[in-house]
Parts: sequence; structure tokens; C-alpha cells
Amino acid sequence: MIGISALAREFWEDGKSASCPIIDMHGHMGNFHSIYFPRGDTAAMIGTMDECGVRMLVFSHHTALFSPDLANTRSVEAVRQFPDRLRAYCAINPNYPEIVEREVASFDSLFPDVYVGFKFLSDYHQIPLTDDRYRPAWEYADALGLLVLAHTWGGSRFDGEDVARQVAERYPNVKFLLGHSCHGAWDAAVQLARDFPNVYLELTAVFDDRDIIEKFVREAGSDRMLFGTDLPWFDPHHAVGVLLNAGITDDDRHNICHRNAERLLAPLIGR
Amino acid sequence: MNFFDCNAFLGLPALRPLAPVATAEDFLAEMDRAGVERAFVWHISQYDGAPRVGNQLLAEAIAPHPRLVGCWTVLPNQAREFPPPDELFRQMQAARVAALRVFPNTHKFLLNAVSMGELLEAMVARRVPLFVSVKRGMAWHDVYNLLAEFPDLVCVICDHGCWGEDRMFRPLLERYPHVYVDTAQYLLDGGIESLVADYGPQRVLFGSGFPESYFGGMMLALKHARIPDEAKALIAGGNLERIIQEAQQ
Repeated sequence: MIGISALAREFWEDGKSASCPIIDMHGHMGNFHSIYFPRGDTAAMIGTMDECGVRMLVFSHHTALFSPDLANTRSVEAVRQFPDRLRAYCAINPNYPEIVEREVASFDSLFPDVYVGFKFLSDYHQIPLTDDRYRPAWEYADALGLLVLAHTWGGSRFDGEDVARQVAERYPNVKFLLGHSCHGAWDAAVQLARDFPNVYLELTAVFDDRDIIEKFVREAGSDRMLFGTDLPWFDPHHAVGVLLNAGITDDDRHNICHRNAERLLAPLIGR
Repeated sequence: MNFFDCNAFLGLPALRPLAPVATAEDFLAEMDRAGVERAFVWHISQYDGAPRVGNQLLAEAIAPHPRLVGCWTVLPNQAREFPPPDELFRQMQAARVAALRVFPNTHKFLLNAVSMGELLEAMVARRVPLFVSVKRGMAWHDVYNLLAEFPDLVCVICDHGCWGEDRMFRPLLERYPHVYVDTAQYLLDGGIESLVADYGPQRVLFGSGFPESYFGGMMLALKHARIPDEAKALIAGGNLERIIQEAQQ
């Protein structure tokens, strides 16, 4: 067994925990060109969530990020199919300002039944988070206190720690989720969380780096960390196994798996 | 399930990581905390420093600990830095070392018949496994070229990454019956199940990537994979046990 705590025993035996549901704050959906997904469609993802005790997934469909012709339509359809299990980020591709304008304009009609915030993928769209083409979405999110999940990667000129700091300063009302926690720039990510009360460390792809979880808990606090898997990329059981094996407490695990996300989502969707 | 980790190292890297695991005793303590029974280990100095230095450090570290089986690193032998294959295998057996690793890109050589034919032929004949790491010192083209020349080599492909490498290693699993993949960084949701469905449970080995990754992540993923318990047991350790037993050093 991978740990001696009560949660470790429960997850090891049952694969999930009644007392520790998971809210996955960083998901995707559907096919993507450079990877084979055995469980990439909506129903299969819900099956994985059931097995792992993931109560809710907040996601952006791959088509919303990479197929501007479809924009967010597939995300919206999926949430409407599983309204108790899914919420979406409205994905913004700043290469198409006219689509950004349209998607931001549609946000109100889909909030909070579908959307809870925005998703930016600057490394892939190759436009820095600070660029004016994101501004309609940033300002809208700032006005309503919405979530913004941004892919952040250490050293990137599009979404690295320095760029993230600029937008954190500029939009203090946004709940700014550092997707991948400025991957690799761990000290800078901790400093961002310390400097800005609206910044959270989202853990997708962090789980595979040993001792970063402990470092974040020690230096930023488990109340600033969010569970994420890029589902259907990564098996939630892997992430849970890491949390159970890491040198942190069950109280930290509750914070990371669900309490922090519940606190963020409650004002938005009333849960 | 009895976990026998096929992919872990000990020792201090040249660049200090957050949580180094310096000694075999520290390593065993982490194994105990996670519930790993045995491990197939190498020493990071084999890669960062020099293979012969790391090999010696590994032999000394694991000698008192029968739960640890070793994996040495080799180089092309034109300069006679290593003994001939028969003597190398004898030394391996004496040191409880059951397989070899290579890092051709980092250690500046080409892994092919011209450079290492004598040793690779001997490894094929005796079924001594070769471990290669896609993360460390071995590109996919090199793996393909190696197996084209030595199709019967027992080859364990480690650290193939978390961003989608199925299209790289599945053709090798299809073509070469003695190729295996480990689970370190194979985080793909449903990945283990899909591999077992397509190739059987015999071709996947539990590997953690410790100490750079946690033991527990892939342990829990395997524990709750949608495959029969017998398949889980093979992946957790049975396959590695068989591979080692089949080697004739």
C-alpha cells in the first residue's frame, strides 16, 4: 500500500473516497493530433471520473483550443449532456479576435450552467498572456470574479512566470489558476502564490515531479493548490497515488482534491 | 500485488535535485514507505559521471541488500574499457547485476553493430536485457535502428514520457517479441488497459522512475486498472522476474 493514512487505505482498496471527492480543475476532451487517447470521448471520461471518485471536471475541449471553426461548441454540448459532472472554461484563441469577441459576448448566456471562466493556451497559440487580444476576456473575468485557467510554463515568453506576474497584477479580481504551476519554475510559482491572493497552483503534470507537492505545501500552503490531470491525458489515479505517497497530511490532500475547488466554484455555481 | 520496480536509480546526481536519495538504505526506506518489494536499480553516476565509476558504486551499494538487483552501464569497447562479454557477464552475476543500460547520445557513441556488435550479439544469445531510456540518452530513431539490427534483443524501453508516445513504441511491440515498455511516466488514462488488450500483459513492466517520480502514482494506477488481477501481477513484477530468470549470464 502506498501510504498509511486513512485516505491511503480507502483509495488503495476502493479506488475512490466518499469523504474525499475530487474536483479536477484542468481537463480537456476529444481527440488531439499528437496522442492516442483510449478514453477521450465524453462518456469514457465520465467512466474514468466514476472510477476515481472525480465528482466534477472543469475542462476545455480540444476543438475549442485547436479548431477555431468549432470554437467552444463541443464543450457546451458535453456540459449539457452531463450538467452535474462537467463545467467548461470558455477557451480563447487570440489569433481570431473576431471569434474572441463572439465567444465573450456569448458567455453571459452560458454562465453558470456551462461556463465558470476562461481558458488561455498561450504557448500553443503563440501570443503572450499580456497581449491586447486577450483583453476582452480578462476584463470580463475580472469584472465578474471568474476563473481563468492559463497554461503556464517556466521560462516561456508567452506564459512563463514573468508574464503571469504581469497579468496577476493587472487583474486582481480574477481567480487566476496557474495551469501546470509555471512548470519547472517552481520557486517563481510559489512566489506568485505568496504575492497574489488570487493566484492558485494547478497541479497537472506537476504530479510526475517528485517532491514538488511537498515543496508547494510547505512554501505556498495546501489551500492554494488545485487538483488537475489534463484528462483524458493523465489517469487521475496516478495523481491521487502521488498525493497519497507524498509526505503531506490527509488534511492537505482534502484541500488539494476538493476543498479549494469547492471554495472557488461555490460563488459561481452555488455548490 | 508484489511490486518489483524495473526503473529506479539511487545516488546523488551532479545537479542537486529537490529530494536526492543517496544511499541504498535511504532507497529501501522509501520503498518500504510505498510498499515496493524489490527494485531493479542503477546508479546515477553511471550516467552523470562515468559508467565504470557508477557501476562500482552500485555494486557496493546493493551488495548487502538482496531486495535490490543491479543494472550496469556499458560503452563501446574498442578501447577495452570493459572486459570481454563472458567476463563482463561473470562479473555481473557476482555483483547481483542482471541487465545493462546504455546512454549513447550522452556518452557519445552510436548504438549499433559496428560499435557494439560483439556485446549485443552475446546479450541476444544469453537473453541479457538491455534497458534504454527515451528521457535520458536514447532517441526513438536509435531504438528503431538498434532493433532492426538486433531483432531478438531483450530490450526494455523506459521513460517514454507522458505526452503521448504510443505511436512510437507500439510498432516496436508489434514487430519485436522481446521488447517491453515500462510504466514510468505512462500516465495516459486507459493506457495500461489498452496495451494489455492489444499486446497482452506480458509486455509491460512496472517502473516508477524513482527518485525523479513517486513510486505511488503508477502503483495506484495499476492497482485499479481495468484488467484481470493476474495481468496486474505480471506487470507489477512477474514479467521482470521472468525476464531476469531467462537471462543466462
